[in-house]
Amino acid sequence: MRVMLAEDSTLLREGLVRLLAEEGHRVEAAVGDGDALIAAVAAGPPDVVVVDVRMPPSHTDEGLRAALEIRRRWPGVGVLVLSQYVEKRYAAELITADTAGVGYLLKDRVAQVDEFLDALERVGAGGAAFDPEVVRRLLAAHGAQGDPLARLTPRERDVLDTMAQGHTNASIAAHLHISQSAVEKHVNAIFDKLDLSHATGYSRRVLAVLRYLGS
Amino acid sequence: MIATFEVPRGGPRGGPRAVARAAAGLLLGALTAGAELVLLAVAALLMAYSMAFSRGRRKVPGAVADGAELLAELELWRLRAFLGEDRAVRYGPLKALAYLVLRVPVGLLGGVILLLLAYGAAASVRLAVGWWITGDYMDGIPPAWWIVLYTAVAGVVLLFLAVQGLVGVAAMERSVARRCLGPSPLEEYERRIAQLSVTRAQVVDAVDDERRRIERDLHDGVQQRLVALGMLIGRARRAGDGERAAELLRQAHEESQRALADLREVTWRVYPAALDGEGLRAALETVAERSALPVAIEYDVPGRPPHAVETAAYFVVCEAVTNAAKHSGAASVRVAVAGSATMIGVRIEDDGDGGADPGGGGLAGLARRVAALDGTFAVDSPRGGPTVITAELPCG
Repeated sequence: MRVMLAEDSTLLREGLVRLLAEEGHRVEAAVGDGDALIAAVAAGPPDVVVVDVRMPPSHTDEGLRAALEIRRRWPGVGVLVLSQYVEKRYAAELITADTAGVGYLLKDRVAQVDEFLDALERVGAGGAAFDPEVVRRLLAAHGAQGDPLARLTPRERDVLDTMAQGHTNASIAAHLHISQSAVEKHVNAIFDKLDLSHATGYSRRVLAVLRYLGS
Repeated sequence: MIATFEVPRGGPRGGPRAVARAAAGLLLGALTAGAELVLLAVAALLMAYSMAFSRGRRKVPGAVADGAELLAELELWRLRAFLGEDRAVRYGPLKALAYLVLRVPVGLLGGVILLLLAYGAAASVRLAVGWWITGDYMDGIPPAWWIVLYTAVAGVVLLFLAVQGLVGVAAMERSVARRCLGPSPLEEYERRIAQLSVTRAQVVDAVDDERRRIERDLHDGVQQRLVALGMLIGRARRAGDGERAAELLRQAHEESQRALADLREVTWRVYPAALDGEGLRAALETVAERSALPVAIEYDVPGRPPHAVETAAYFVVCEAVTNAAKHSGAASVRVAVAGSATMIGVRIEDDGDGGADPGGGGLAGLARRVAALDGTFAVDSPRGGPTVITAELPCG
């Protein structure tokens, strides 16, 4: 895939460039701030951008603003945001209706090379990828409020958990070591319990679930 | 001694010039007192008139109020210029009037003593001239030795009394001004409380700033290194086994060493452990060792100052040295720490380009830290340098 990176730590940027090159991706730009990333994307949109939330000048949410702008102007470009900590607001802002190709990972997840590459592939292919930690937080926040989520069986919660990270039914089945038909059954049960339409396409499922969680 | 700390003293210092200045001040005071006596008489008439015809309004007429404040201002200038009295003042027209009424007799007394002095000096000269130059003896008495001795003794005693009188008048001038125009004890308390509220709020701010800085240090340094380390190990695992994997692992091992070094740096910046154990001097030596610039330290503090003072002094030096290394373009830094049982003075001088901004984050934080201990903090950094940062911290 053609990838662009925006990360202010030189050390990490170089590491990412090497890692992606080893995996056979083409890194077309590796920059240190949001404006440079926008300029690079404008010069020739890649398949996916990886962007750190905290970047100069103010070290608050430059990366996120750049990500949102890229989503707006180049909907075809996948955006994988790396965040310092779970910020529900960011997750909610990223998840807009009928979009695909969004990812929101904790920055430290990059150290889990396999998971990071997996997420990048999914986002680049128009799917979604959400950090298990993000999902866990959102689920935990809701579980405490006696909402429909509390009605899910532990198994269904596992399935939703994995699903919310952007996995397909097949990979959920592989993750939880159950058959794919069992997964489908659980998914349907989840949608029934959460009053969600039976949407097809896994990214929309995720977005629907997360939108519901983030509301 | 490398740093000298002036102790403010009320009143003129010794020395012939100061004495002459004080005498001139008293003379001027006597003259103004005469003028003020006349003006006060006029003001009394004006006020009596305005009270009688103001239909119940009890107010000092504008002209009197303005005049009184103007005269009080003039007197304060005189006290500052000639008698070395320099204190914060706060007064309104009524206080100014009261002050003028009280200081007129004092000023006139000073004038009378000055006249006596002048008369005595003139009489002495006339006597001496008559005795030894013209031969025109006063009262026809020739200058036998015991006559001269007795007159001289009497003259010296009178001179001493007159000078003491002048010293007393100067003291009275100052105390009347302080009593009438200075802040009352209650106002002093209020001001002190206001100042304490401000410094307390500033301390909280300074602590928050430091925490933010620590967070940034950890996030930008240590955390990035650990993530990079994880990536290296991840890549090594994906490379299978072989030369590449071994190379990546070697890099990862190096990275882990660097992450540790970063972590040590951050913990040191958060709080230098040496400060507790070995004291300020050892901690400052470590600052010098760790600095990119050569830092010369002169340390002259007897015993160990209180802990809070040591810590504040340490951070002042640390921040100033860091700033010099980062922004000033200096080639070297000189640090001087001098102290007594009551005061520690810190002075940091670099030979850089100057232009440091006292309102900048680090320096403002230091100012707040020092203010919290009732110390003084100053940054002198003209364009073109050198930059001198001084802090004085009271001990106890």
